[in-house]
Parts: sequence; C-alpha cells; structure tokens
Amino acid sequence: MSVLLHIDPSDTRPIYIQIMDEIRRALVVKTLGPDSPLPSVRQLAADLRINPNTVQQAYRELEREGLIYVQRGRGTFVSASVKPEGEKETLTMIVAKNALREAHRHGLEADELISAIKDMNSQLKKAPDEVSKGASE
Amino acid sequence: MISAIPSDLEAGNPAIVTRDLMKFYKKNRALNGLDLTVPDGAVYLMVGPNGSGKTTTMKILLDLIRPDSGHAEVFSISPATGGARVRAAIGYVPEGRIPGYEWMQVGLLLRHHSSYYPSWDSDYADSLIKNLEIDLTRKFRKLSKGESRRVQLVMALAHFPPLLLLDEPMDGLDPLARDRVIEILIDYISETSATVLASTHHIAELDKLADHMGVLFEGKLLAQNSREEIHTSLKKYLLQVPEDWDGSPDLSNAVVHRKGTRPETSWEIWGDETYVTEQLKTAGAMVRSVVPLRLEEAAVAILAGKEQE
Repeated sequence: MSVLLHIDPSDTRPIYIQIMDEIRRALVVKTLGPDSPLPSVRQLAADLRINPNTVQQAYRELEREGLIYVQRGRGTFVSASVKPEGEKETLTMIVAKNALREAHRHGLEADELISAIKDMNSQLKKAPDEVSKGASE
Repeated sequence: MISAIPSDLEAGNPAIVTRDLMKFYKKNRALNGLDLTVPDGAVYLMVGPNGSGKTTTMKILLDLIRPDSGHAEVFSISPATGGARVRAAIGYVPEGRIPGYEWMQVGLLLRHHSSYYPSWDSDYADSLIKNLEIDLTRKFRKLSKGESRRVQLVMALAHFPPLLLLDEPMDGLDPLARDRVIEILIDYISETSATVLASTHHIAELDKLADHMGVLFEGKLLAQNSREEIHTSLKKYLLQVPEDWDGSPDLSNAVVHRKGTRPETSWEIWGDETYVTEQLKTAGAMVRSVVPLRLEEAAVAILAGKEQE
C-alpha cells in the first residue's frame, strides 16, 4: 500500500510541515491507518523531488508527536494508537486559519466569513452544481 | 551586506569555509571579501547575477585558481596546500566544457577520468550512463551542451565524493533530463549524506532540494541563511497605508525591499513577524497579509533591495 502525498511549492508552509499535514490528512480520510507502512525517506524524497533531509525532518517531528514509529531495519509505520479524530481537529484548525488569513486580506471580519460559510453551505446542499459553478466565476 | 539580514551561519563542522576571500582578474574584482559557510550535509544554493563570483569561488575551492588574499577550507583542508586531497573529495560539474579532451570518445573520456579515482564505482557509473542515456561512442566535441552536462555529471558522481560542486548543473538540459538529474542527486544525497554547493540562475528548479541559500553580489554575500530561517524571518507584508505614509522608523534597518505605491504597498521585511506587524500597526499601516517567500522570491527581493539602496 502506498499513500499519495501532495506537495505544493507555492504553498506558504515549509515543505516538512506540508508532509506532516499530508500524513495527517491521509489518517483522517483513512488512506493510512494504524500500523500502515510509510514510504522510506529515500523513496518519498525521490517521489516528491525534495531533499531527503526534509523528509527526515518531517518523520522526526511526527515520531516526536507519537504519530509514527520507526522499526530498525523494517521501516516507518503509523502508530497503532493513532486517533484520527484528534488529527481531524488539528487539520480543521489549519483550514480555519488559512480561511481567516484570506478573509483578512480581503478586508472581511471573522463574523462575516462565518455567516458566509453557513449561507454557502446551505446553498450547496440545495443545488450543489449551480453553486459550485457560481462560486468559481 | 544588507544590514537587516544576518549572515553568520552557525555550523559546528562546516564542509566549506571561506574567510575574507579576495580575487582580482587584472583590474576586475571577482571576489570582495567572501565569507562563505557551507554546513556539512547541506544542499547550499549559491545565487547571484553573472560576475558575482560563483564560479571563481568554486575554482578556488578546487585550487584551480588561487585567491589574492583570505583563506578557504574544504573539510578543514586548505585547497592551496592540499589541492590533490581536496580534489579527490570533490565531484565537480564545471560551467563550461572540459578543455583538452574534446577529441576523445565519451567512453574513453570516462575510462581516462576514472583512472584518477581509486573509489570509482563502475557499476554506479554504468547505471548513470544508462539512466542519462549517454552514447559512449560519440566524440566529446560533438556533444551538445546538455549532453556534455550529463557526461560531466557521471564524472562528478561515480567516485562517490563527499562534496559536490555544481556550477549551473541544469544548464542546457531538457525538462525530462532535468527531472532525472534531480532524482539522481536526491538518490545520491540519500545514499551518501554528501554536501552540495550548487550555483544556479534557475532557483525554482533546485528550490525543493536546497536547505541553504547564499546570495552573492559583486563578490560578496548579501545574505546567507538556512531555508528555514529565510522562511521564518523574511516575509512579504501587504499593507494598506495612509497617503503620506513613510514606513516605521523602528523597522528602517529591517526592510529588505519595497514595491507598489500607496495606498496598497508590499514590503519584504526581515524580522520576527509579531514584532514587525506591531511596528507596522503602530506606524499607522493596516497589515492585510503576511506571507513567507519562496527561495527565488527571497533572492529576488534581496538583490532588488540592494539596487534600491
């Protein structure tokens, strides 16, 4: 089994943070589960065309957080005790922070953003196709 | 040196150190007090306009030329006194072609080159030759720029040196070959933990590989930092400001580069984000967004800021 991690060079997060967040995302959407194997440092570095030390750094941080463990000679695995719910909270905070930043750049207050999200959500539920078209225009 | 940006890189056991290097070509000043520090195991990107001293620096490290003053060390050895030992530890991809061997067939050139290196690994060389689709029967003279680059890469890597000096390594390569070269370099770094010093005009191509960057201008460093430090400390502040706004006096030394006109303007500033934001607010600006810079944007801001001085 292999996970698909996506790295965006224009993203404002450092690459090692992006790797960590991508692994969190894989846990939340359950493409990774307890004891799933992760790609080797060399493999992931080659796949993503990034410095192996960056992958190493991401793995080290994740290990420190207790999300993954290294078994010498066998590889790196997701911890058996991992709680996707907790990771979901972390991811939600990241998404919220990005949205708030973007709102501030556009001169919007947090309250305005929140009520717009609620409105948009109920519109999406009624007519998903039309709303997604409208939103992208 | 832009006063805002610290350039004293902490490195316990650096692979490369140069201190106050000076070099003139006749009356042309190529290096003007270069203080380079490349930590062991780093992938260090050296960027700067043509004539800023990148190639000269590499040649001094290889003892192909000597500095007029100052000193250099590669793995604690001075190239001037231990040239052979230093060159044995370095894989070098030079900027131009290799003079003197133009008449050789590529296969012979590689055999000849390998004889200088006891650590030459023929199996690895063969795999690189295959991977880079090198035709051994062609004359070196007949190769295009990109083709000779691939041969030079094999020559640089196959003796497993702990240090790579790559002078514009992607020059002349097509997109697929560039991608292969990146992959080869990643494998090499994974395998050997080698240190890499690379010069390039195309920062974006090596961006994801680099963990350090030095910006050269007229033979001197304007900045030299880890990728993480650049990412944390150099940010672009999008500001909405009053008509007569003239910046924050407390930040006058920290502004690296500014662009745009009032009322909306964008300043690249070095410093702690919270502190900088506070100062900007106190001075009457509204901070609309704060974003970190990619290495290429950072280099451009630093060089453009130099011109604004």
